[in-house]
Amino acid sequence: MNIIEIGGLTKKFGDFAAVDNMSLTLKEGEIFGFLGANGAGKSTTISMIASLLRPTKGEIKFLGKNIAKHAHFAKMNIGIVPQDLAIYEDMTAFENVKFFAGLYGFRGSELKARVEEALSFVGLGDKQKELPKNFSGGMKRRLNIACAIAHRPKLIIMDEPTVGIDPHSRNYILQSVKELNRMGCTILYTSHYMEEVEEICTRIAIVDHGKIIADGTKEQLKAIITDSKEIWIDVKSVEGLNQERLKEIRGVLSVRIEEQRLKIQSRAEIANLNDIVQQLIRDGMEIRAVEEQAPNLETVFLTLTGRNLRD
Amino acid sequence: MKTILWLMAHTFRNTFRKRSNIILFLLPVAGVLLSAGLYGSAGGAGLRIGIVQQDGADAVGRDIAAFVGALDGVKITETSDADLKDQIAAGKLDAGIAIPAGFGEKLKAGSPEPLELLSVKGAQVTAYVQAMLDGYLNNVASIASETQGDKARFERIYAAYTQGGFKVDRERLNDASNVKDTTYQSLGFLVAFIMFSSVNMSEMILREKENRTFLRLLSSPVTARSYVAANVAVNVIAMMCQIALTLTFMRAVLHIDSGVPVMQLALILVLFGLGAIALSLMIVSLSKSKGQSSALQNLIITPTCLLAGCYFPMDIMPDAIRKVGAFLPQHWLLDTVNRLQHGDSFGSLYMNLLVLVAFAAAFAAIAIFRFSRNNDTRSFV
Repeated sequence: MNIIEIGGLTKKFGDFAAVDNMSLTLKEGEIFGFLGANGAGKSTTISMIASLLRPTKGEIKFLGKNIAKHAHFAKMNIGIVPQDLAIYEDMTAFENVKFFAGLYGFRGSELKARVEEALSFVGLGDKQKELPKNFSGGMKRRLNIACAIAHRPKLIIMDEPTVGIDPHSRNYILQSVKELNRMGCTILYTSHYMEEVEEICTRIAIVDHGKIIADGTKEQLKAIITDSKEIWIDVKSVEGLNQERLKEIRGVLSVRIEEQRLKIQSRAEIANLNDIVQQLIRDGMEIRAVEEQAPNLETVFLTLTGRNLRD
Repeated sequence: MKTILWLMAHTFRNTFRKRSNIILFLLPVAGVLLSAGLYGSAGGAGLRIGIVQQDGADAVGRDIAAFVGALDGVKITETSDADLKDQIAAGKLDAGIAIPAGFGEKLKAGSPEPLELLSVKGAQVTAYVQAMLDGYLNNVASIASETQGDKARFERIYAAYTQGGFKVDRERLNDASNVKDTTYQSLGFLVAFIMFSSVNMSEMILREKENRTFLRLLSSPVTARSYVAANVAVNVIAMMCQIALTLTFMRAVLHIDSGVPVMQLALILVLFGLGAIALSLMIVSLSKSKGQSSALQNLIITPTCLLAGCYFPMDIMPDAIRKVGAFLPQHWLLDTVNRLQHGDSFGSLYMNLLVLVAFAAAFAAIAIFRFSRNNDTRSFV
């Protein structure tokens, strides 16, 4: 069953269309990756799903019910983990979760049990009485998640939940996302970290300029760009490199430089590796390694949008 | 309703968790104390008169001191001739009388010497005592004149005069002007602090926007309307408690009688308080950050309170400024209280009350309009 059905969704701020005639469905039980660069329209779409913004046009259905008419029902069953921490620094971890869970109508022993369950789930069971201002960044992120799951929502929207945290906490959060999914929650997950999305998401949509430009499983998305390949060439120094001459080589689509690594995207059917290497030698580059990469999500994103995810 | 109560409890806890907010809540009481200190000490404390008794051996000389001491509102202190002027100059005494040696004998002989009150404050302070004293001395001199040196007869008539009963009906008229000034200025401070306190509580909306909890609140089943309603309800309760506390403090501790029935005073203050809350919501709705609302609060509240006479009486202000004051809600509150103190009936002041309601409605309308037009949720996600 579809948990979210978005049809013809548009949100305009003045003349600017942040979301432009978007249509999308999320099935129950999915971990759905929502990929897009800054300003692509992800947050605006999330805000409309969470009933924080009214669409200019179109509709969103949650479990078959239009959320414009059944906002209370949708809100009772959606949990949101915002990109920026949304917790009270001067309230203990327990008080934070208790307050937000209380907004869903829980009281007494049931409320206490749900708060303890949520805190234990994110690994803060022994930090209940501590103030978040004494927490590490990762612990605050986990508390941010606990506040969103105490009411046991059917859909959890996670907007960049791992930004700026240590690898241990990131790993903990990713495992938690998988665990929540195993427990029956549908997850809508946005991230700048492509490898996270590849690791946990069962389906992915790429958003650009307010529109869904691709939607499918990782394999389906990668299959879109079977006509291109990526060549990584490590050099001692990029000083003296002439990018324009590289781009003139037959089949080369784009050239990117990441420190001492050149990432050259090229048409798959054209054998141009020798020409590329010879051009680099003419430019005085000292080649250390050459590797041909199979398409990954980053290549897909770049090919489809023409920009990096972090742009 | 359950959610609103939950939000109210949260707002109360979060507001009064901070010591600075408790202090802000209690500021109106401090304002009343300040006002009582500024205006309450002016006059009304009684007249302190020093007596230099150099004729203590004579009964008449002693009786003069006793007579002065028995006058209403007069407190006498025996002192020496050398200290009298110093004490008057230092402000420890308001006036002094020196009763010279042999004064009683001369009075009994029918040729009294004039007794003068020594004071730096002039006739405004001494006239009452001087007149009473002159009357007393004239009566004693008349007895002396009548008895023509017959000491036994003088003593008998003098004793009958000093102990004799005659009926005097006395009506005491209190000088209420000082109490009214104190009440007026106390309310001025109360008004200013209610306004600051209201903005502080409404600013919680901005604080929650800044720490992003507002987003989480609105993504829960809480509507923006019930969220603001809970904030307003807490604000109203806090404001009513402030008013009750301040009026109780004025009456029970400082014994200030405002001259206005307490329920009427409370009702007017609550009416004004609703306007203050609406104004605070308007300030919050016009601000994008707490810093902005604090600046706006200082820009609006402090000058308008000054112009409306909350800190200083309007009488000392130029006519042009007084006219500006008429456009401010604080002025209408203070004017209503002033008129009630001067005997106007509550019912006759309906226009003042309507103006206060109109101010509240106008501020609330602007706040509602601004809140409803806020489409900037993007910044919260």
